[in-house]
Amino acid sequence: MGYSPHPHAINSGNINSYNVTNNYGSVTSVNKVIADENPEIMRWLSPLDPGRRHQDVRTDRLDGVGNWLLETSEFREWRSSEGGADKAVLFCYGNPGVGKTYIR
Amino acid sequence: MLPTTSNISSLVIDSLCDGPYGGEIVVAMFYCDFRDEQQQTTTNIMGAILKQLVVRGEVLENVQTAFQKAKKEVGGRGLRLPDIVQMLKQAVSTLPPVFICIDALDECLPKYQLELLRSLKDIFEELPRTRLFVTGRPQIETEISRSFSTSVVVPISPKTHDIKKYLEKRLEMDTEPDAMSDALQADILRIIPEKISEMCVGASMAPISMNDLY
Repeated sequence: MGYSPHPHAINSGNINSYNVTNNYGSVTSVNKVIADENPEIMRWLSPLDPGRRHQDVRTDRLDGVGNWLLETSEFREWRSSEGGADKAVLFCYGNPGVGKTYIR
Repeated sequence: MLPTTSNISSLVIDSLCDGPYGGEIVVAMFYCDFRDEQQQTTTNIMGAILKQLVVRGEVLENVQTAFQKAKKEVGGRGLRLPDIVQMLKQAVSTLPPVFICIDALDECLPKYQLELLRSLKDIFEELPRTRLFVTGRPQIETEISRSFSTSVVVPISPKTHDIKKYLEKRLEMDTEPDAMSDALQADILRIIPEKISEMCVGASMAPISMNDLY
């Protein structure tokens, strides 16, 4: 998947201006810049680094696989927040690796 | 890779970050992993989510203030869950709608699953624009419904189209393509997706017995 910077800046205050939010595909992510500048605080908040795991998973992902979910009305409603607080939580269940062992 | 919950989560996260609403929302994620279950305490997971919300000066200032205060105490005080929840609430209240994605919640120790959901619920009650995406084994639904009275539920099972794409990729990468006839390739692409789809229908109807296979 390609990544392009978002057109909207959401940062403010005493941080330099960048035109992306926390986009993990981009090295210019505001979050990454702040994290790099404040490593001690970031370690204090948590020793865990979910961004790295996300990169590993998305690298292995095939384009187009799983896109059906993004087209469901459940996902769209959740995404657009149309359902309000009643539809704030979207739970997708499945067994990890279902089917994979079968064709390995 | 076939759509495991992690692949689905990464797809959802990317679609949120790159979608038409891009800069109007903020996305934070956490992938639970049983290999790391001792470190995956509620405090560490919530801290990891907060880390990703430090995208604005005012959020950073609040976190810096709390950090300096903790540092002054003897030995430098570690964070407690209520501190993190409080900082998360502050962060979420100053940001555009925050979307939190948690993958494979069942790979977190049971004692932390409910605590994590309750802590998130605490935030959601005060800040109703917040959204939560969770994946996990079917049994997790019970835990979710104990914290959130309503949730939208969608089953994930490999679609025939997804399995075909995966197989095509694997065949493309075959280091000895001449060893396989076209007829055999065609059979693989026809029969295996059908079989897996049948298997998954069975899995969604009888999740407990199917777990023995993994």
